[in-house]
Amino acid sequence: MIGMWGALAGGVVLLLVLLAWVQAEALSKDSHSDWGASGQEQGDRAESCSLEIVSQVFSARDSKFISGLESPGLENLFRRERTAVALHWVQETSAFIGKIMRRHLEASRLSADLEIAVEARIFLRYARLKLYCGILFVLIGLLGPQRLAGTALYAERFIQRIGEGLVEFQLAAQLRERDGSESP
Amino acid sequence: MSAMVKPLPVQEAYEDLLQRSLSRIPCDLGRLLYLASTRDYNTGNYHHDGLADRFSLKVARSALEIAHRQSFYKVAALSLEDLVRDLAAYLESSRENPEEFLRTWQRLEPYRIAIPMEVNPTVARLFASNVRLALAVLRLRRESSHSDR
Repeated sequence: MIGMWGALAGGVVLLLVLLAWVQAEALSKDSHSDWGASGQEQGDRAESCSLEIVSQVFSARDSKFISGLESPGLENLFRRERTAVALHWVQETSAFIGKIMRRHLEASRLSADLEIAVEARIFLRYARLKLYCGILFVLIGLLGPQRLAGTALYAERFIQRIGEGLVEFQLAAQLRERDGSESP
Repeated sequence: MSAMVKPLPVQEAYEDLLQRSLSRIPCDLGRLLYLASTRDYNTGNYHHDGLADRFSLKVARSALEIAHRQSFYKVAALSLEDLVRDLAAYLESSRENPEEFLRTWQRLEPYRIAIPMEVNPTVARLFASNVRLALAVLRLRRESSHSDR
């Protein structure tokens, strides 16, 4: 009996997650989806999205300001607008992580002294970030962005650190490659 | 963005721009739109006669581009409440009919031209979305002040 109820509850949760995903997908492809897309592939961050901007996207202060105006229409508009921006940030971030990883794999292929443990650690970090993005995408669709500010800021900080680490790794790989080609 | 490193002549031109032109504009949104208006729609190059005369075409162009980018990030990071206040100040300084102004801005979305080239797409989205919301707030305030009378 408990097994049946458990399966039923699991099914409902799965259905809710799927609904949230579909809703989030629809919102992220709203009519203003052309912004910033011209000539820029997703994941091409011309400039980083600063922590200040990420906190602004997920800001509870703006939400309070809108609630204070006591207009249901405006509250709906705010929820729609902010959710769309937050979902766009998640998609852009996810694409950026993918790009970082591709670059890392390219750099690793050129590297003569690959360390399996280091590579495994990097891959796990990458997988964890991708998973975060997936969870954030669903949660934003379910709860709205305002309750997820902490998680979003954590992800952005983490990505910035990984990005910096990867740049150092690539520079080191290039130096090693140059040294290798110069030595007799 | 404020930590952007500027070569010395560009830095001088940038400060000149701040003192002579931008300080006269009473709000952040006004400064942003002014800077965006110095950009050629076809080429994306910036031009300011006075600044180019005092420095050089190239230096003036770089100073304008940096100022535009900084001004944009400043406005994009404003809280909604501050943006509404700023937009109201801009509306007042324009001396246009408020109804007409709000209707035109909501329909034509002229603020889209204020977005610099190659800016982070999330920031561009946040900016446009915030201006849409600020316009809706100002409209709501006007409607409720009319119905109170």
